[in-house]
Amino acid sequence: MTEAAAGPNGSPGTTRVSIASGPLVGPVLRRVVGMLAARADLPLDRLDDAVLVADLIASRAPAHMQTPSVDVDLETGDRTLFLRVGPLNPGGGQALIVDASVPGVGNVIEQLADDITVKPDGDSEYLLVRLAYSS
Amino acid sequence: MRAHAPTRSFRADPALIGVTPSPVRLSLPAQARNIAVVRRALEAIAEELALPRRLIEDMRLAVTEACTNVVRHAYTEAEATQANAMRVEMLPETDGMRVIVEDRGRGLGPSPDARGPGLGLPLIAALTSQLEVSHGADERGSRIAMSFAPTPIEAA
Repeated sequence: MTEAAAGPNGSPGTTRVSIASGPLVGPVLRRVVGMLAARADLPLDRLDDAVLVADLIASRAPAHMQTPSVDVDLETGDRTLFLRVGPLNPGGGQALIVDASVPGVGNVIEQLADDITVKPDGDSEYLLVRLAYSS
Repeated sequence: MRAHAPTRSFRADPALIGVTPSPVRLSLPAQARNIAVVRRALEAIAEELALPRRLIEDMRLAVTEACTNVVRHAYTEAEATQANAMRVEMLPETDGMRVIVEDRGRGLGPSPDARGPGLGLPLIAALTSQLEVSHGADERGSRIAMSFAPTPIEAA
């Protein structure tokens, strides 16, 4: 199995899920993200947002991954969920964001996330997404 | 190993899930709360495969037991927080699923709070169609490979 690096937020307490591209990516990623969003104490509407972001990553990421799987590191903080998607092909981070546009709605990940960053790492890059709730 | 009372169930249509369903891997800190994450992922796959409900329940119980072994026995409290302390691989098969739970810690051992041999492995053996227990990678830790398949009655 792939060694898990430090988490999206730089800490070791990360959950890494690696799902071979195919019909299981959406169902598994949705469940895991929903579970960890609840653990992060995100309210229901933000939990729904996190699951929607997971669905978009599941459907769009396989075209941009460097591996034949969709790899996502997840980490929870105080009412915050961090996701790191990758390793992605060069340019894959921005391409994944652009692919998340839905006609008539716009870019869903950009609208729902509190922060999106594309982080280069050698010949690959990672998409970092932060979903939070501030009362 | 498994011998269940008859239950009504449905068999997955391979055409609906693809010819060769692909594996799912999780790497997590070996903490009790993460067992629920493993169970959620397992349930998602099992439901996609339309596995029999009784088989899903058996899988959930056996995998929970295997993960609990890792959480309780494999690591010190500090070691357990490492991101890849507990590794779980779920491999859908045409007629069931294979699940591997692995750690790189001390491996299997008696429960510090148990008076005699625990029920963990015998229980897992009773719920699986095949069970392999070995050392983990680099001869460290433990590796429990469990195969689950419906009984003929369940699959009918």
